Amino acid sequence: MFERRLYYHIDWALLAAILALCVLGVAMIYSTTFDPTRGMSRMYITQLYAIVLGLGAMVFMLALDYRTFTDKSHLIYIAMLAVLLYVIFFGTVQMGARRWIPLKAFNLQPSEFAKLGVALVLAKFFGESRGTPAWGDLAVGAALTALPLALIAKEPDLGTAVTLLPVFFAIAYLAGMRMRIFGIMIVCLLLAAPLAWKFALKDYQKSRISTFLDPSQDAKGAGYQQIQARITVGSGGLSGKGFKQGTQGQLRFLPVAHNDFIFSVLAEEQGFAGVLVALGLYLFVILRALEAARLAKDRLGSYLVLGVLASFTFQVIYNITMSAGLAPVKGLTLPLMSYGGSSLIATLAGFGLVLNVRMRRFTN
Amino acid sequence: MTTAVPEDRRRVTSRLTVLQYLITVLFAVLAIGFWVLQVVQHAKFEEMAENNNQRTLALRAPRGIVFDRDGRVLVENRHSYSISIVREQTKDINRTIRLLSQVLGIEEARVREVVDRHRHDPSYRPITVVQDATLAQVAAVTARRLDFELPDVRVEPTPTRKYPDTMAAHLFGYVGEVSDKDVAEDDDLHSGDIVGQSGIEKVYNALLKGEDGAKRVVVNSVGREIRTLEEDPPTEGKRLQLTIDYDVQKAIEDGFRVAGFNGAAVVLDPANGDVLGFTSRPSYDPNAFAAGIDRATWASLNTDDLRPLQDRAIQGRYSPGSTFKMAVALAGLEEGIITPDFHAFCQGHANFYGHEFACWNKKGHGSIDLRRAIEQSCDVYFYTVANMVGVDKINKWATLLGLGVKSGIDLPNEVQGLVPSTEWKREKMHEKWYAGETISVGIGQGAVSVTPISMAVYMATLANGGTRVTPHLLKAVDDGTGWKPVPPPPPQSKIDIDPDKLQAIRDGLWLVVNGGGTGGRARLPGYDVSGKTGSSQVISNQGRIAAGRTKKDLRDNGWFVFFAPRDHPLVAGVVFLEHGIHGGNAAAVTHHILDTFFAKKEGRPLPQVPADFHLIYTDPFAHLTAGPPGGRN
Repeated sequence: MFERRLYYHIDWALLAAILALCVLGVAMIYSTTFDPTRGMSRMYITQLYAIVLGLGAMVFMLALDYRTFTDKSHLIYIAMLAVLLYVIFFGTVQMGARRWIPLKAFNLQPSEFAKLGVALVLAKFFGESRGTPAWGDLAVGAALTALPLALIAKEPDLGTAVTLLPVFFAIAYLAGMRMRIFGIMIVCLLLAAPLAWKFALKDYQKSRISTFLDPSQDAKGAGYQQIQARITVGSGGLSGKGFKQGTQGQLRFLPVAHNDFIFSVLAEEQGFAGVLVALGLYLFVILRALEAARLAKDRLGSYLVLGVLASFTFQVIYNITMSAGLAPVKGLTLPLMSYGGSSLIATLAGFGLVLNVRMRRFTN
Repeated sequence: MTTAVPEDRRRVTSRLTVLQYLITVLFAVLAIGFWVLQVVQHAKFEEMAENNNQRTLALRAPRGIVFDRDGRVLVENRHSYSISIVREQTKDINRTIRLLSQVLGIEEARVREVVDRHRHDPSYRPITVVQDATLAQVAAVTARRLDFELPDVRVEPTPTRKYPDTMAAHLFGYVGEVSDKDVAEDDDLHSGDIVGQSGIEKVYNALLKGEDGAKRVVVNSVGREIRTLEEDPPTEGKRLQLTIDYDVQKAIEDGFRVAGFNGAAVVLDPANGDVLGFTSRPSYDPNAFAAGIDRATWASLNTDDLRPLQDRAIQGRYSPGSTFKMAVALAGLEEGIITPDFHAFCQGHANFYGHEFACWNKKGHGSIDLRRAIEQSCDVYFYTVANMVGVDKINKWATLLGLGVKSGIDLPNEVQGLVPSTEWKREKMHEKWYAGETISVGIGQGAVSVTPISMAVYMATLANGGTRVTPHLLKAVDDGTGWKPVPPPPPQSKIDIDPDKLQAIRDGLWLVVNGGGTGGRARLPGYDVSGKTGSSQVISNQGRIAAGRTKKDLRDNGWFVFFAPRDHPLVAGVVFLEHGIHGGNAAAVTHHILDTFFAKKEGRPLPQVPADFHLIYTDPFAHLTAGPPGGRN
């Protein structure tokens, strides 16, 4: 169990950066949902609860050796698939998608936790075999990723589903997958894109992509959020409009400001200075976690850290790009900062694994 | 650990390093992206953000209140709401039009037409769809707005004109949306502005209109106002005091209502041209325009055979008939051609240039002097005088008395009457004037035509001894710093009429009312009312026969022109009854007006409005008697 000396090996700097981002998130949520005409919003309090729960999950993920989790990863994976199936049939419908399991305090979004499950099972799978993964290994790994991905996409929640892909690619990459295979896959993806456009994508998904390419063609509809996001960020300037002074977020020109567009609010109210601080914190967290992957005592640890980090990094970069109106609008949260309990708890739990791997680098 | 690092360990390390650099580069790219947006392009986006959340709303200035000469309110403003579309916030204009017309309960085509008319306006400028919305409409729109269904529709308080119903409608005029032409000509006007379209609303628009204010507000994404950044309050238009006397005005309106005739009346202060009362009938309700007149009402006002929009007092041209005789008399006297004692012999008709001219009194008046000729309205006497004086001298003196020229009243679109002359005929008809034509002019027939306002000036000039005062409506202006009197405009012309000659005419006019004349109905014991009736055909007798049975009103027009008291006149004016049959009927209406005027002057209780004037409504020519054309009293 938790040995006292391990305590000294906890990466306090990483933890501090993570908590700083959480606090930044709460402040922005408070700012954007604060509405004196409607009384105090309780959203930031919910977020604080989620942070506490998330820290609890983090401690839990820290407490046991990560190998305990990877050893049980096949069970975790199967349980995860079961829950995802349950959601598809019995989940709560919100905004046209069946993504949530209603719990007493809040709605649980299992897809957020699926990232961890996939990271665990892939780390275990690739960690067991030495050397460059063969075609067969890659196929199995891809299948293990594709199964939950398909289930999540069916909800539908294409955004979260897509975040599973980086997990697979990152672990496969680290496991030594040949770069040639990477190249082939990229070519295949490019070839598949027109087919996906024709058969797989729904109309609203197509319109999101086409309006991204030319937002003005639908300035009041799908392009609206993108234009508003740019205005929000651009009008923030160097030093920002000040806490609770952002007109775009406060006056709701920017939709779901406390959620998907939390970074836009930060950019508006705290300016380029605030953006640099937040970007710096995220970069620090990612590089620090990469450091943990490098320091890990075994391949399994490295793969696990990178698996957790892959979806996190993908989401951070995508969301921040989108929040500046530079990527198509997709319902992807900004991990650690966006409002949302499931995302926060799953992310903090994931970093529990990262800290775990680093902490136990000297143990046997 | 000291031995060679395992191969896969090296690979992990190197691949992690690649990721490290890759991610660092990506973050650097992101930072550059934000720098471009937030620092390089900041000004552009800041302006876009402001356009997003700040709106400038016009605050309509109330137009100036209009008072009568005693300070009683004539025209004021009431609170109303206008409903408008701000296209800047519109996502789908067709949807907005459809939904709004449903909510308001008006035709979609009408809303569309209004929007189309303003489609070239800047999109931030509201397009007013309903100017004076009912409470139900306001409630319906407000409810939909709160549901975010009509974020581009605005309900705003708008001051709207309130007129005393149909009273003096032509005088006040009405307001309406400014025309595109006026906007193009005047930089101070903007599309959608409400400006005076006729009457004093038009003439004094610059004084009355005030200055719209503006309010800079912060709105949220659904257009709800969050707070006011700055406010420039509107300046109310200047307050105007008119020369109109409410009591006199009301007496005129009551008089016409009881008499049951259309027509016009003008009452002046002969000393300075103050217009004490002014009406034209039939009237219309200017309030209908204030609230944005609907197409049907506008069409019916325009196609009505009675032409209610025409201001008969300044735009109606009518044959003056016998009321013209004083001008002929004055011409004869002042030219030295006759004296007041000049007698003519009337045998009921007379022959000039081989034509027979009848007097209205077929029995004849016998030997008759000027005073009696006016009292009895003897046609033969004035045929004779006119023949002696000639048309050009009649024209000269009639013009000096204010006939055949514009009065110069401060109302728009006044027309000019006509007193013929040899020059006029040469210029207009390219024909020589025949002396025989002068005979009819002597009794105000032939080509002579006058407007009621010019008749009022004519009587005022006779009343004040020769000063052709300019009738005017504006007495004082208050721009917020107190009333400043407006001096009366200078007279149009001034002559010194020999008092003895003038007195002869005045005596004749006095006899018309107080002797045995046709104006007895205007008599007010103690006030020496002096006046002259006139009846003029609207169609020749032959024409009337030819017309046969027609729905057209072909009854004669009835005039009464007056001043009082005879020797020191305080009031002068005209009552014109369209198809009023007899001048005497007009005299009866005048009685109520003068009775009210003097009662007020002396502080007596104002007279009751009679329930009935007991006028003569039988048309003596209904049986279409044929006979030689001639004046009838």
